[in-house]
Amino acid sequence: MLSTAGGMEVGIVKVGTVSNRGFTPEEIAEQALDKIISIGNNSHPVIQAQAEAFRKEIKGVLVGYLRQAVASHNTTLTNRFKDAGHPELVKLLEV
Amino acid sequence: MAITITTAMPTTFKVELLKGLHNFTAGSTRFKMALFTATATGSGTYGAATTNYSDMGSDELPTATGYTRPGEFLTSVTPTADGTTAILDFDNETWSTSSFTTCGGLIYDTGDSDSACAVLSFGGDQTVSTGDFQIQFPAPAAATAIIRIA
Repeated sequence: MLSTAGGMEVGIVKVGTVSNRGFTPEEIAEQALDKIISIGNNSHPVIQAQAEAFRKEIKGVLVGYLRQAVASHNTTLTNRFKDAGHPELVKLLEV
Repeated sequence: MAITITTAMPTTFKVELLKGLHNFTAGSTRFKMALFTATATGSGTYGAATTNYSDMGSDELPTATGYTRPGEFLTSVTPTADGTTAILDFDNETWSTSSFTTCGGLIYDTGDSDSACAVLSFGGDQTVSTGDFQIQFPAPAAATAIIRIA
């Protein structure tokens, strides 16, 4: 028997906005997690619980590395400001 | 008048796929996303009947405060399969240090005369003020991916 079930669909995008700043490592980690882990509503509760636990663990790893990336980039900017003769701008990088 | 946007796959895009006019393979820098103005600022209707970027006309955000016409290039991920469903994904796209209000977006193919690939409604006006505005594409899976062929 032949089946012709199927179709073409467009997914739903999410919009993220922040005012007067950029995204934080925590916010970017959440965005990455949406790409990495997708938990179906119809999944078995045990599988959902395992996936949620995994998601939480991965988020911690991502946030840690993203913070390192920000700190490392600030080091690069610090050197650029100093090389350009503007060491006073380094204070702007302090959070 | 106001802009009316319905998230949809343009009918012309479906036909063009069968003609082999779109290539989403990673590295093919040809797909762009343009943003619409705020709902009350425009007047057009967009959805399955939208055929081309040029349809946006003055309903596209003007070049100012973080947005530049005709939109930004998207980074596509080579299409793959999830089960029996073909899926497509893009990297998230960010407009930095921006101030604007938009109600939707249009993905189009600069490699095929700016033909429309997807019309996206944001569910209402979305506003950013001197900050980052980001489009977050859904998880690349059979039930969620931005473009799916089951």
